[in-house]
This record gives sequence, C-alpha cells and structure tokens, in this order.
Amino acid sequence: MKLDPRTKLFLAIVANSVILSAPPVYSVLMFAVPAILLLFEKKWKFVLAFFSLYLAAVLGFEHLKTMDVGRVGTLAVSTMMIVSRMMPITIVLYYVMQTTKANEFMAGMSRMHVPNKVTIPLTVMIRFFPTVFDESRAIGNAMKMRGIRLFSLHTLKNPLTILEYRLIPLLVSITKIGDELSVAASTRALAPDTRRTCIVPIGFHVQDAVVFVYCIAVIAFVVVSHI
Amino acid sequence: MPNVKTTGKKSSNTLVRDLVNVGIFAALYIVLAFLSSSVGYIPALIVFSTGSIALVTSIPLFLFFSKIERSILCCLIFCGFFGTAMFVMGQGILMLSISLLVGLLAGVALKVFGKGFAGLFSANIILCLMSSSMMLPLWTSTEEYLEYTRTMCDAGYVAKLAELSQSPWPLVAIYAFGILGAVVGGFIARRVMKKHFERIGLAK
Repeated sequence: MKLDPRTKLFLAIVANSVILSAPPVYSVLMFAVPAILLLFEKKWKFVLAFFSLYLAAVLGFEHLKTMDVGRVGTLAVSTMMIVSRMMPITIVLYYVMQTTKANEFMAGMSRMHVPNKVTIPLTVMIRFFPTVFDESRAIGNAMKMRGIRLFSLHTLKNPLTILEYRLIPLLVSITKIGDELSVAASTRALAPDTRRTCIVPIGFHVQDAVVFVYCIAVIAFVVVSHI
Repeated sequence: MPNVKTTGKKSSNTLVRDLVNVGIFAALYIVLAFLSSSVGYIPALIVFSTGSIALVTSIPLFLFFSKIERSILCCLIFCGFFGTAMFVMGQGILMLSISLLVGLLAGVALKVFGKGFAGLFSANIILCLMSSSMMLPLWTSTEEYLEYTRTMCDAGYVAKLAELSQSPWPLVAIYAFGILGAVVGGFIARRVMKKHFERIGLAK
C-alpha cells in the first residue's frame, strides 16, 4: 500500500510532535500507523523486533522505576526510558526513509511549491544518513584490522588521534561520494531552476485520506485531553 | 587564457554541487553533533557538551566552508536544516530563529574574510553559537524545557538541570566552552586541512 510522499511527511511531523509532547498512550496510537504500513511492505521481522524491544523497555521501566536499583540500575532504567520514548520516533522515520525514493520525495516537494534550492539538499541529506553510518562502520572495520579501536589504551592516551583515524577517512569518503553525486545529478538535469518530470505517479488516494483523518483525530484527542 | 570573456555569473552546475555539499555536510554535522553532545548526559559534564560539539565538528565545517562557492545561501540552508531538525525534535521556534541568524552571519563572515584561514576560522566560531544555543531554552523557558527533558531523562538529571537554571553563569560557561572548543577545533582543523585535504586535492 503506497502513500503519497506528502502524506508521509505529514505523518512524520504529526507523529514526532505527538510522541514528544503527549502521554505515552498517544505514542502507541501514532506508531501503530507506520507499524501496520511496514507490515504491508513485508517488513514483519523489523516490526516484530521493534515491538519486542519496545515492550521489554516499557515493562522493564514500569517495573523498576519505583525500586532502589543502585547506580548501575539507574543507568539501565534511564536507558529503558530513553528507548521507550525514542523508539516510536525511530519506527516512523524508518518507515518514511525506507519507503520513499528520492525522486518521489522531490516530486512531492515540487507539488508543494517548495523551491529546489531547499529540496535538493534536503533530499541529499535524508538519503545520506544511512550512508554516513555505513561508511563509518566500514572505516571502523578497516581500523580494527590495523588494531585501532574506539576504546583502546592507545586512543584513551591520545583521544585526538581518533579524529585522524575515524573522522578524516569518513570525510574523504563522503566528499568523494558527494562529488560523484553532483556529477550524476547534473547528468539527470537536476538544476535549481528547472522543473523535472517524475515517472512515478504522485497523488492522493483513499489510504492517504485515511491516514490524514486518523492523524487529525489523534491531534484532536490530544487537544481535548489537555483541555 | 586571458582573452576568455565570462558573464560573471556562477554556473548552475556549481550551484547543484554546492546544494549537494550542503545536504551531505548537514547530515554529517547533525550526526556528529548528536554523538558528541552525548557527553552532556553525564550530569557533571553538561556545560562541557557544547565545547565537545564545537571541537569535533570544526574539521568537517572547515572542509564544508572551503568547498562551497555561494557562502551566504549555503550557510543559511545548512543552519536552517539544523534548526528545523531541532524544532522537529521538540526545541522551540527560538532555536530555529537563532540557527537562521547564525547561518546568515557565518555566510557573511565567509564572504567578507574570504576562504583563507581568517574566514574559515571566524565562520566556525560564529557557527558554534548555533550548537551552543541548544540549551538556551533552559533559561528562557525553564519550566517547559524541564518538562520536555523529564520525558526523556531520569529525575536526577532533571534536578541537576533545574539547579543549573537558577543562575545565569552556567549559560555563560556553555557559550564560553562552545567558543573555546571552536577556537581549539579551528587550529586543529587548519593543521588537518594542510596535512590531509590540501595534499589530496579535496581543499585549496
């Protein structure tokens, strides 16, 4: 079941606002939407893992928060609380980033009359978060082969060397990727003052209307409960 | 080629390259800022967290500043993205406004001082004010910020924040450490630029 990129953007904004500002019960109402949509995308393993971890964090926190658990226990309880609060945002963003292709996102933004000068870097930025982590992981593995680890005696003695061993290769790598991306973008007529066509049909359907109505209903519940 | 006449306008290809660079470095900056700000989860190190952000992000920022051609536009969009990310994460509109202002000032500094060390260094120091403002709502709207933090952190941490908000000096220290981090990071970045990036042709 495909949603319009504008609906996904609306869902992400509403979900973030509700999860960060309303009681946890509303978080469940909000992240249920991307969870169901991810099931339609056959990502049931991710959804199962997410719910197991989320339930463990919520139940663990509710069980331990009133108990005297010592310093280490306090750290564990804090981690559980952060996980239970931040995971709903993670699943919403995961759904949006996994199911939205760059060209669909650009077409959606173009329909909203957002200037290309904002759309191009925004698209690159959203698509680049996974790349940053992938590159960092690959560089980390390469450094491990040389015996350079993040938490070792050598790096603890001179913490600035970690900048040289991890950050600089990452910068070189992503700068080169960026240069290649610019060339690829130019060959695909990506320019700030041209309006591009999109082969994927963009438009609102019944499922978009359902998500819109659901989000507005949740916002209404939150507002009424505050009054 | 001395006889070649140009229109004086910058090519749209370089604009695309600038915009792509803004996207890439904004993604990297946000990731590095969040990772290095995690120092602040230790209550005793809250005021040092801005210094660690400025120190770690100086090298990518130097490289970013040296690669862009339209400094004001790029800095404005770059800081606008960071401010919007903070806004979406629950920070107020104040953070977004400060980010845009800082972006404008950093772009003007780059334009005025050029791409030499003075320009990059001053733009880096101005830009560190953006990450240093992340905790400003603790003093401007204390109750709301504490309520927001309460949803994510334990009671001990919130009590420490409430204690800090009683006096303006921790805020001064937060900005001072941010600027100090940017100054130290700037000198490290200068050395790194010469040692690595200029040698392999990534920066001039």
